[in-house]
Amino acid sequence: MADANEHLDKIMQELRRGTITIGALSQLSEPQYGYSLVTMLSDKGIHVEPGTLYPLLRRLEKQGLLESKWDTNESRPRKYYLLSKTGKEVFDLLVTEWKTIASSLDQIIENKEGEKHGDD
Amino acid sequence: MEMINRYIYAVTQKLPQSQREDIAIELRGLIEDMLEERGGQGNRKENDVEEVLLELGSPRTLADKYRGTKKYLIGPELFDSYILVVKIVLIVMSSLIGVGFIVQTILDPVSILDHFIDMIVSLVTTLPTAFGWTTFWFAIGELCGGTKQKDLTGKEWKPADLPPIPDEKRQIKRSESIVGIIIYTIIIVFLAFSNEYFGIWVFQDQFNGVVPFLNEQTYGSYLLFILLIFGAGIIKECLKLVAGKWTYRLAAYTTIVNAISMAAILFMISGPDFWNPDFMNQLAEAGVVTAGSESFETVTAIWNQSTFWILILFIIGLAWDAADGFIKARKK
Repeated sequence: MADANEHLDKIMQELRRGTITIGALSQLSEPQYGYSLVTMLSDKGIHVEPGTLYPLLRRLEKQGLLESKWDTNESRPRKYYLLSKTGKEVFDLLVTEWKTIASSLDQIIENKEGEKHGDD
Repeated sequence: MEMINRYIYAVTQKLPQSQREDIAIELRGLIEDMLEERGGQGNRKENDVEEVLLELGSPRTLADKYRGTKKYLIGPELFDSYILVVKIVLIVMSSLIGVGFIVQTILDPVSILDHFIDMIVSLVTTLPTAFGWTTFWFAIGELCGGTKQKDLTGKEWKPADLPPIPDEKRQIKRSESIVGIIIYTIIIVFLAFSNEYFGIWVFQDQFNGVVPFLNEQTYGSYLLFILLIFGAGIIKECLKLVAGKWTYRLAAYTTIVNAISMAAILFMISGPDFWNPDFMNQLAEAGVVTAGSESFETVTAIWNQSTFWILILFIIGLAWDAADGFIKARKK
């Protein structure tokens, strides 16, 4: 079982990598700074390490999906991220893709379970 | 607080200069947010700092995530050829040292233990050096061109570009080329460093010295040609190794390399004073043949004719080698 968990960890890591991008993009139609995004996502059941999210936000900004602005009025300077125009388009496309994948996978898994029950 | 500074420094140190400041401010904000959420005070606060830093992970991992790319000495594009070259270099060096041990032991069997120790010492010092240098040159290659290689071959790939599966008859076995390289290297090292052993070995109860084939006075000036001839052989084997199968182009290259070797051999052998001028006398002195006897005459005749026959053999061999390439390339 320990072995299975090890495999699970690795696969889950790969699986999460893409979903975190979707999760982050989904929350950025309003400007957010990194840590507020971590809390927002975790409130919604998506747990992201700040050490993963911060570099991801930077990468998305570099790719032009996000725009950023420093806010220096608060007690500590914070970098706020916001979806760019391209970012919005990409997010909409991603959502469609995601739904297709999710429903296809659902079907495959349901069928599999159906077969199993049939065998019993 | 000091621990936080140290952490931020450790992370940003590993990042490009241009991003350091920005990431440092962001990271400090993040750590403070995380601390605030925990809300500890006094002693508790120091524990919190440690916890937060542990959650962020080691500075190296975090910096890697920010950088996004892996750092490596030799990238995946060069790695296959790197491994191949390392293998060849190590095999060639070990065989050289092994052959050296065997030769020394034949010459002087009494001190076999010394020779053995010498061999081990050579292995321990030479192999890591060879490995290091090979790695060094590949790392240089990676630095200069490793990433550019993609641009060079970066044309849109088409299924038509797929190379045909090589015919078994046209395929060149890697082991064949590697053995070839080893043999050529051994010959070069042998002729370059111990040409005085290239001759008739006289054994009477024990090893009694060598009657050399070559003229030791003029030998130095011919060494360049020997390097050229056998170096050309090594280049030929490398070409075969890279090509992997016989093609007309490869056969043409082989022919050119062989022609160069042939020219060098012709020039060298037909030149004056290449062979040992006192060969027959030395042979008689060493007691292998008795001067004036019938066998002495025979050996003299063979010795005088040898230049001609060696030349013929070399030419046939090299011509056959070139023709063989064309024949194999034509096979369908």
